[in-house]
Amino acid sequence: MTSNIVLAAILALGLAGWFAARAKARLLDSGRGSLHSLPSHHGWYMALWVVGPALLAWVAWQAIMPGLVESAVLAQPIAARLPAMAIDRHAVLAEAWMLVRDPGAGVFNPLAREFAEPLRDAQSRYALIGGALALMLAFAGGAYGYTRVHAGFPARTKTERAVMLALLFASLIAVLTTAGIIISLLYETGLFFSHISPVDFLTGLHWAPKDPAVGEDFGAVPLFWGTIFIGAIIAMIVAIPLGLMSAIYLTQYASAAMRKVLKPVLEILAGIPTVVYGYFAALTVAPMVRDLALLLGKENPSTESALAAGLVMGVMIIPFVSSMADDALAAVPQAMRDGSLAMGATESETIKRVLVPAALPGIVAGVMLAVSRAIGETMIVVMAAGAAARLSIDPFDSMTTVTYQIVQLLTGDQEFDSPKTLSAFALGLVLFVITLILNIVALRVVKRFREAYE
Amino acid sequence: MSDNWQSDAMRRRLAKRHAAERRFRAVGLAAIVVSLLFLAFLLFTMAWNGLGGLSLSFLTGSDSTNPAMAGIWGALKGSLLTMAVTLALSFPMGVLAAIYLEEFAPKNRWTEWVEVSINNLAAVPSIIFGLLGLAVFINTLHLPRSSPLVGGMTLALMTLPVIVISGRNAIKAVPPSIRDAALAVGASPVQTVFHHVLPLALPGILTGTIIGMARSLGETAPLLMIGMRAFVSTPPGGVTDPSSVLPMQIFLWSDEIDPGFVQNTSAAIIVLLASLLAMNGLAIYLRNKFETRW
Repeated sequence: MTSNIVLAAILALGLAGWFAARAKARLLDSGRGSLHSLPSHHGWYMALWVVGPALLAWVAWQAIMPGLVESAVLAQPIAARLPAMAIDRHAVLAEAWMLVRDPGAGVFNPLAREFAEPLRDAQSRYALIGGALALMLAFAGGAYGYTRVHAGFPARTKTERAVMLALLFASLIAVLTTAGIIISLLYETGLFFSHISPVDFLTGLHWAPKDPAVGEDFGAVPLFWGTIFIGAIIAMIVAIPLGLMSAIYLTQYASAAMRKVLKPVLEILAGIPTVVYGYFAALTVAPMVRDLALLLGKENPSTESALAAGLVMGVMIIPFVSSMADDALAAVPQAMRDGSLAMGATESETIKRVLVPAALPGIVAGVMLAVSRAIGETMIVVMAAGAAARLSIDPFDSMTTVTYQIVQLLTGDQEFDSPKTLSAFALGLVLFVITLILNIVALRVVKRFREAYE
Repeated sequence: MSDNWQSDAMRRRLAKRHAAERRFRAVGLAAIVVSLLFLAFLLFTMAWNGLGGLSLSFLTGSDSTNPAMAGIWGALKGSLLTMAVTLALSFPMGVLAAIYLEEFAPKNRWTEWVEVSINNLAAVPSIIFGLLGLAVFINTLHLPRSSPLVGGMTLALMTLPVIVISGRNAIKAVPPSIRDAALAVGASPVQTVFHHVLPLALPGILTGTIIGMARSLGETAPLLMIGMRAFVSTPPGGVTDPSSVLPMQIFLWSDEIDPGFVQNTSAAIIVLLASLLAMNGLAIYLRNKFETRW
């Protein structure tokens, strides 16, 4: 509460500073060319000095405040009543924090109620200290900024330098995210490999993660097989012919009006959230697949099957394959098409013998991107593919994938550093590396293919 | 026209080739028809199961163990809060990054790194962003679990590359003559960009932003990782309260055994699809209304 008021106060001070500096600069203005920068630039310069340091201090305080509050409370005599075990202590304090945020919250441990009061007191005290600190910085910054306002001061140059810094910072976020993904996955995977050997993990054939770690329980090959079977085989058997043929029809045969209607409608398939596909797969497709399995004489087929998940995933990927194939076909020079038609080939012969072979690198790259998307897909397999890790080539079997297991391992309430939980990060790392390789290779193929025809 | 010079064998061969032509064409049309039939079947199933469940009390209620009492307002409000956080973070960051990369970045190895990582982030599976959110926001920074704040931050990282890529394309489409004119009358490069290039590129950036937001509205997997699957019987009051989101509500209801939830799930899907349709419709409208051909 206090911190929100402080935040509003900082911003209000910034606004006031903007007006004050602009007014002062306007008074200095004695005609054309007498000021180095426009009055509003002086305003911005001043506002930066008011808001910048104060906001940084405010954010830093928000980050360190819970720690300070907790140690202040632990220094009080009441702390002696806390349980000795570190885990229990954390649980009590966590519940007390919950009470601080929401006094009506239900807690399991009555001790938490006793701690809520001191925590709240300490928190409001520290919030006041932090608020005072931030406001002091705002005034100090403002005073400095205000004294800078004089005719020759290059406020525009300085403000623009700050803007450039902000731009640079924004562009760094993407790099930081990539680095964050790599570092956090590598770190957790490193912890996992201190329990389980990487060789067991990558080559083991038995997947049954339990908390007391045994190397044989963490063999991820069945997961890799399930992922490939569903995402790269079944889904692609559906998506490649349908996607490629619809791209061919749309680019080569359909009239412009038809294309204008059909293409966006086909794109709707790509815009439907995966959870909807997952539900559709579980509710409608899976029972049909099971009936089909019964019809084919399979005994006791399960409702969850690799085929149901793969089929629906394939349909989801169709617009993706189609638009990649579309681009690849469009990149083939018209002269090749004309040449083939002039030799007397029919249109379908031209497409089959000239266009598709010429566009093949682009199409293959598109398929690789589609595979990388399919193996990273989560909700469809979570809802339709099942949990049994098995090495099977029967599409009617229930099968599990890397993404399914990540969800399974991380949505329970277990200790964060058990090998079972950590294995999810190792699976995530494998997934990340494979999709990264697929993407880089595909983009390189596309680039080379474009250059070949330019 | 006399075809004396055509032998019977020739004619048969031609007929065969033309039949093959027709077959090929029919297969192409069939591929599209099959895809669209699947779409129609999906939408029809959802409408058939769900339309009966749409009512005012369904739209204003919150989650409940009783399917007849359960509603989606709690989840919808969670989605709105999450989207607000995502938009507040990813839009300014994305636009600023796009401006930097397109207008100011020097052509060096560092800039290349930034571009490569943006393009790769756009293709990273969404569940990996969930793992990042879990490891960094929850386990390292100890932000409140299950909250729209963490969900929004995670989705913002996912949406950022989409906004940067569409923003760069929109900025690239503004003709250099605009920049030259502004620079010629004495504007600084920063003024040129913020006063002239950015306003002209804004419709394109907004279109890309809406599409990115629509994608993150339908996203479930990363939010599953950061625990946004709380059973929330009262709508969240702020961005730090435990909350659920619309796709997550669909996922949770789909797991319920009570058959009454089939109707609820389908009805929630209808609401979700309708919101997505509205957002994409808005994006198309913006594009058609403000698109300038230079």
